[in-house]
Amino acid sequence: MGSSILSIGATALNAAQVGVATTGHNISNAATPGYSRQVVLQASAGSQNSGFAFVGKGTEVTGISRVYNQFLTNQVLTAQTSSSQLSTYNTRITQVDNLLANPAAGLSPALQDFFSSVQTASTDPNSAASRQALLSSSESLASRFQGLSTQISEVRDGVNGQIGASISNINTYAGQIARLNDAIEKAQAGTDNSANDLLDQRDQAVLQLSKEVKVSVVQQGDSYNVFIGSGQPLVVGTKTSTLYATSSLTDPTRTEVGVRSSSGATTLLDEKNLPGGNLGGLFDFRSTTLDVAQNTLGRVATNLASVFNAQHALGQTQTGAAGGNFFNAAVPDVQASSLNATASTGKVATTISDPSKLTISDYRVQVVAPVSPSSATVAYKVTRLSDGVNNTFNASTTAGAATGFTVDGVDYAISGASAIGDEFKVRPTANGAAGFSVAVTDKADIALGAPIATTTSSTNSGTGAIGPATVNSTAVIPGGLSLTYNAAAGKLTGFPANQAVTITNGSPATTVTFAAGAAVAYDPTSPAAISIGTGASSVALQLAAVTPPTTAPTTVNVPSPNATLTYNGTLKTLSGFPSPLAVTVTIKGVSTTYAPGAAVPFTAGATLSFGGINVAFSGVPANGDTFKVGPNTNGLGDNRNALLLGKLQTANTLDGGTTNLQAAYSQLVSSVGSKAHEVQATSTAAASLLEQSVASQQSESGVNLDEEAANLLRYQQAYQAAGKLMQTASTLFSVLLSLGSN
Amino acid sequence: MRISTNTLYAAGQSRLSEIQSGIVRTQQQISTGHKILSPSDDPVGAARALDLTQGQAVNTQFGLNRQAASNSLSTEDSILAGTTSLLQEVKSLAIAAGNGAYNDSDRASIATDLQGRLEELLGQANSTDGTGNYLFAGFQVTAPPFSSSATGATYGGDQGQRQAQVGTSRQIALSDPGDAIFQNIKNTGALVATPGAANAGTGAASRVSVDGSASLTGHGYSIKFTTATTYDVVDNNLGTNVTTGATYTTGQPISFDGQQVTVSGTPSSGDSFGIAAPANQSIFTTLSDLITALKTPAFGTAAKADLSHSLSVAGGNIDSALGNVLTVRSSIGSRLREIDALNTTGDERNIQYSTNLSQILDVDYTKAISDFTQQNTNLEAAQKTFVKVSSLSLFSLL
Repeated sequence: MGSSILSIGATALNAAQVGVATTGHNISNAATPGYSRQVVLQASAGSQNSGFAFVGKGTEVTGISRVYNQFLTNQVLTAQTSSSQLSTYNTRITQVDNLLANPAAGLSPALQDFFSSVQTASTDPNSAASRQALLSSSESLASRFQGLSTQISEVRDGVNGQIGASISNINTYAGQIARLNDAIEKAQAGTDNSANDLLDQRDQAVLQLSKEVKVSVVQQGDSYNVFIGSGQPLVVGTKTSTLYATSSLTDPTRTEVGVRSSSGATTLLDEKNLPGGNLGGLFDFRSTTLDVAQNTLGRVATNLASVFNAQHALGQTQTGAAGGNFFNAAVPDVQASSLNATASTGKVATTISDPSKLTISDYRVQVVAPVSPSSATVAYKVTRLSDGVNNTFNASTTAGAATGFTVDGVDYAISGASAIGDEFKVRPTANGAAGFSVAVTDKADIALGAPIATTTSSTNSGTGAIGPATVNSTAVIPGGLSLTYNAAAGKLTGFPANQAVTITNGSPATTVTFAAGAAVAYDPTSPAAISIGTGASSVALQLAAVTPPTTAPTTVNVPSPNATLTYNGTLKTLSGFPSPLAVTVTIKGVSTTYAPGAAVPFTAGATLSFGGINVAFSGVPANGDTFKVGPNTNGLGDNRNALLLGKLQTANTLDGGTTNLQAAYSQLVSSVGSKAHEVQATSTAAASLLEQSVASQQSESGVNLDEEAANLLRYQQAYQAAGKLMQTASTLFSVLLSLGSN
Repeated sequence: MRISTNTLYAAGQSRLSEIQSGIVRTQQQISTGHKILSPSDDPVGAARALDLTQGQAVNTQFGLNRQAASNSLSTEDSILAGTTSLLQEVKSLAIAAGNGAYNDSDRASIATDLQGRLEELLGQANSTDGTGNYLFAGFQVTAPPFSSSATGATYGGDQGQRQAQVGTSRQIALSDPGDAIFQNIKNTGALVATPGAANAGTGAASRVSVDGSASLTGHGYSIKFTTATTYDVVDNNLGTNVTTGATYTTGQPISFDGQQVTVSGTPSSGDSFGIAAPANQSIFTTLSDLITALKTPAFGTAAKADLSHSLSVAGGNIDSALGNVLTVRSSIGSRLREIDALNTTGDERNIQYSTNLSQILDVDYTKAISDFTQQNTNLEAAQKTFVKVSSLSLFSLL
């Protein structure tokens, strides 16, 4: 009997010891991340049938388990991955947010200073000081664009670096999980006991992993199989895949992620398939904010440069020359995919033809099978990446000829042979801000005047007056033009080198457009309508048929638009327009075109256009009154072009003519600001969700020191009681022994 | 609910840091005076503020342009004021020269005086602005527009008129070309009525005199006899009748549109007299012609009549020149007045922009400071309770 009491006491003593040890373990790990509190599982050791009753045998410790809830742990994983994603996004977007609207470093002040100096120069166009000030403020505008672009690329470099760091963390955690899988398998083999601390460590590694990328865990036996993103296996049992950072196939400045499986095969992962965590936040920030900011800024720069250059080219410099480029506009960035067929010689060349139609999107050009019916071998599919809208253009069927098409204000010229499957990435505005610089170096080369001057003859007796001329085409050639016809080749040459030429000629008449600088096919035996330049700014010429054909001209002289117009009081017409320029009369928006050499009816208030020059008339001329239109010589005080340049500040030159430069930039500030605001709010929400999830997980699994203190007391008392039991057993035994001795 | 010790500390920390970041934010708002610290605080407001800033900058620039225009026009006006008084003096000299008591040498000395005035006038026409640009040269501001010649002066500038952008859609001319001021003046005194080539009657016309220079149109006219005793006066430029079916009396002046001509004799029905539209003459030529006339000895009736005619023509032309200069000056005056009016609206708009910007950007100090105080109290309470809660431990009682 006494021995059974002793053994009962021993079980109690043992159980109390385990209890104290476990409590101590809990207390010492109270602050250990990922630790789940452990509890002693104690049960009665059963009883023995003594014939009269079942007598208890004491207690036994059946195990030590961790307090762990799979559901709550998964909830923490999910909350952690979205909180990390948003917090990373928030950190990054704050940099861009502060950069753009900064009153000292943002674009707005530089833009305003620049246009102010254009206006100041317009009030005193012949002043060296105001011209120099204009040049200086344009330099500071360019450096502001470049500075902003540099800061954006620094942010981009930071993002690339952080992607690398995140990938290396992911690989580290993957290795840990795989090793812990192995350790747990071995520790738990052949036993029902769970290796609580190893399990905690593994769960903690998974939690760390979920900070970097979205994780899903499938338990298989004692092992965790870990999948990241949209199902990419990272850890399977003890095998891991390795992520690596690599440059994008079509953009060396863009870090992307590839995966090398345990068997050594490599795959490039689409960033859309890696949501969540720091990595997801970085990808999200890069594609929805950084690229947009860079392209929007680039679009403002490219648009400003193109539009300002176009107006500047219509002006006249202090030396009397036509205005050259004021700014250097960046050319669109074109990258061929590094996976293109090695035999492909295809090249894509792009130029911006209509800056008002530029979008902030990037484009993908894919070489695809031609759209039938067509005898072309390939076609080019251009996809706007922002919304996926695409157009397909068949390649030219003429061997060796380039294929050209225009998408969103950008002209594509494709030369060489491409294989189906080849791909190019075109970023029309990405380099806009970085490539924006000032082309004019001499203040005298700023074209503030207009090239054409008009004069109402001082001997006129009528009140008719000719208004100042405006010029709307760079095809205006103040010195005239001499076209040479080569009868053997049937070609006309001598057009301005920078202008495309469209000719309607032949029998039956056909309309053909020739690229700038090309010789123009011409048949002198039929009349020809020629337009130099494109669109509204073209200059129209009309050449009469030559009969008999043998006297085909060798030279066609197109005089300078230097004309003396004479009013015929009887017919009420103006004559003297330079042949072969057609004249268009616009009265209250209604245009009528008169053939070259014809007399043109005079109407006060009408605008007459010929050769790219527009003049308006007012008053009533008398018979024989003359008006002169000619080159603006020595017009150093002329500020007409400066006024037109100044108006570009508020002109709607973007989005197809609905948005001005400042508004386009404000839209960027507002959209980045809204996004930052949204991310801040959602990030705060995600952080508090995470806090709550952690709190509920901790409320179950976390260590409460007061509770442990109570447990400590409990086990201490149990130990003391068990000791007392042993003592009692010993006393009982002594009683038995003393029975015989006395 | 069971609370783990970790949660106790984590929750305390995150609350404290939350309140602290709020306090820092409010403090920044107070110290910068800005409600919007970064665009994310108020994306729409931040963008609107940028647009308003551009609006204000443009408005300010228009103000500067108006200042430049005002300076330039004032300079021009002060020179033309000199021209006005000079022409008035010239006119008195021309009238004085008509004094019947004066002899040739008196007139020659007046001519010498006028020669000086001519050169003074030329100097005025070749005035430069502060930076050495010629004011009345059109666009060709680097060369003197008028050069002296045998017939007065010739104009070498052009008809360019520099405009200043003084409002969003308003441009004001800040210069006037010299030929419009000094040169393109209707030569009203030299009108001649020419008999039609097919005239059958004996009607003859006198010189055309000007009886009202303000009514002059500068048009050409014809007097057409519809019968031997009635006539029409036709404005050739407009093709309309000025007078229809008037009764003809020999020797009686016919007046129309500020001009007067006398037809005498017996015209036949269908006869006509043409009065060509007056040519333009420069004021320099007028003066030069007057000087030549005054230097020519007036001996005999014919010469005296010529002198008298020259004086009357010169008088008319000087009047026209004066009228022309005054027209330009009144145009300058109205431009300056418009600039003043635009300045007033520009200033008002500037205040409006500043008010709007302030509404969007500026911090409301009352609110900010009361927020700050509240956040301070919150932080203090949170700190104190955190210390209390964290110091409660069963272990400390064991």
